[in-house]
Amino acid sequence: MIELLKKLMLTHGVSGREDKICELIRKEVEPYCDEVTVDAVGNLIAHKKGNGKKIMLGAHMDEIGYFATHIEKNGNIRLHSIGGINYTSSAFGAVVSENGVYGVLVPNAGADSPKEENVYIDIGAKTEKQARAKVKIGDAFVSAPSIRRLSGNRYIGRPFDDRVGCLVLIEALKAVGNTDNDLYFVFTTQEEVGSRGARPATYGIAPEIAIAIDVTRADEKGTQHKLNIDLGKGPTIKIKDGSVICSSELLGEMREIADANGVKYQDEMLSDGGTDTSVMQIAGKGCKAGAISIPCGYIHTCNEMIDLNDVRGAIRLATLICERI
Amino acid sequence: MKELLKELCLAFGPSGYEDSVKAIIKARLEKVATSACEIIEDNLGGIYFHIPKNGAPRLMINAHMDEIALMVTGATDNGELRFERVGGIDPLVLSSKRVISENGIRGVISSKPIHLLDKEERSKKPTVDKMQIDIGASSKKEVLDACPIGTYFAFDSDFVKMGKKIKAKALDDRHGCAEMLSAIEALAKNGFKVKYDLFFAFTTREEVSYSGANCATEIIRPDYAVVIESKAVLDLPGVGSDKSVATLGDGALISYADRGAIMNRALTDSLIDTCEKNGIKYQINRAVSGGNDSATIQRGALGTRVALVSAPSRYIHSSSSVVDMDDLMAIRDLIFNFVKE
Repeated sequence: MIELLKKLMLTHGVSGREDKICELIRKEVEPYCDEVTVDAVGNLIAHKKGNGKKIMLGAHMDEIGYFATHIEKNGNIRLHSIGGINYTSSAFGAVVSENGVYGVLVPNAGADSPKEENVYIDIGAKTEKQARAKVKIGDAFVSAPSIRRLSGNRYIGRPFDDRVGCLVLIEALKAVGNTDNDLYFVFTTQEEVGSRGARPATYGIAPEIAIAIDVTRADEKGTQHKLNIDLGKGPTIKIKDGSVICSSELLGEMREIADANGVKYQDEMLSDGGTDTSVMQIAGKGCKAGAISIPCGYIHTCNEMIDLNDVRGAIRLATLICERI
Repeated sequence: MKELLKELCLAFGPSGYEDSVKAIIKARLEKVATSACEIIEDNLGGIYFHIPKNGAPRLMINAHMDEIALMVTGATDNGELRFERVGGIDPLVLSSKRVISENGIRGVISSKPIHLLDKEERSKKPTVDKMQIDIGASSKKEVLDACPIGTYFAFDSDFVKMGKKIKAKALDDRHGCAEMLSAIEALAKNGFKVKYDLFFAFTTREEVSYSGANCATEIIRPDYAVVIESKAVLDLPGVGSDKSVATLGDGALISYADRGAIMNRALTDSLIDTCEKNGIKYQINRAVSGGNDSATIQRGALGTRVALVSAPSRYIHSSSSVVDMDDLMAIRDLIFNFVKE
């Protein structure tokens, strides 16, 4: 499982540029499904056919990053954020383009706080011409991906958001046993720029139940505002966030399945934030939508943190839901 | 194409009131349509030209017919009209401009002359709530009888040729309509031999909600869509190339992304390829800014692979936008060469 997680983490896939990560996941899931398709906006849809309830589980493949917008005479590359970037974390960190060109993200000399307008990527080019030979306008960069084990079950790196969700989806797909349910495992695109992929995917599938699997912010040590979500205490079942109120009927069923099978979970009750869940709920004619989240520390920084226990719990819960709901 | 562009720009077509623009387009379409072609009208006022091709991928090329405008919301006792903006308009570009109503009544937007501005007012931007439309009336009743609440006003602005450049209102996005019509007329001459199951969609309400394009996406269900738009640029003295977005006269402007959508890379690259193979001038957008129908088309129905081609435009969303005729011809040639067999 860790080997697969490493592969998922280290594969490039900024919003709108999910081809490589899509290919990796396709190879992984194909042997376990009846049909695998990719739709017009790049969503990877793995279908395990059945005659029962039509259920869709989704995790997004894309990650936050940067698009090159302009190359200066001295070879510096200016950029535009794709998704919510924490520039304080990104500053002076390594970045890598979709074509494997490495660079460092640097704030302008004298800039007081790094932000999109005052940072550039230095790829070591001395001139505009040298830079253009390696980078085209529109090329995607990410803060360099990594994954490392700390003590016990804790891991740091990026982008756990949402490759760890993809892992949960893949492992659930492999583990799911006998069931009549008609199961769609969907790896969505462009979540980080506003769930642009999940909507057409849900519209096309028209499920009865849709469950998004994503990361959620865990309480960080020393924070004042307690979210009451801790690393290592199990996956969360979403009640609401800033963009969705989950189906209370589905919420009840998810909790019942968790309780009956001894899966430890936490309540996710948020006043802000959002995932694909909201779009799944209202796409097409609408459906009962919910979410399972993996607690994650320091989200959208170069070192996000997760606990493997939560991942194992999420896989088990997702598998049980597929089989029994 | 210039005469057609002039006719389209001078037509009155605020968002939600596009019928006179549609009438011009419909007449041109009916002239070239063969029995194999289909002209479709939707419930939001959009019109589509369909060149069917069995089994080929469905391609939609889209431009919006509507323009930014004003709408009457009330009147003052001394006979001036209060208004609200239809679409994104900076109050700065409204002050003292000529406007014309849907029923042909001309007016001017009030402004406070510099002689009467105090020190603080001189450094501040004007706001819409301090502006009125003056049509020369002298009482509330008189002005509301002439222009009841809900009346549309658009900019009253000539179509002027300035060398290779054009100055007009509503270039956003009548230029797109003109290029599409011109490409359709060129296709008619080659017997409508095209590579795709092809739809040209002239849509409504882009400036307020993208709802016209949403409607078109639901009806057409395209596999691919190319949106023809206007992109605000700042290619002016003293602005570096990192801030200018693009340059007038450097060709069709192709974007990899804007604030509303990340374009499909393969479709975008094949547009670039078409330019390269046919010697069509093009440039790549140097910024990620603005948004348009591509956002809605991408996410509509079952999802669409989208790309964006724009005319670089100065002073966009004002009474006097400026574009370069060479860029418009390049876009027209790009559309024609991209779809023809």
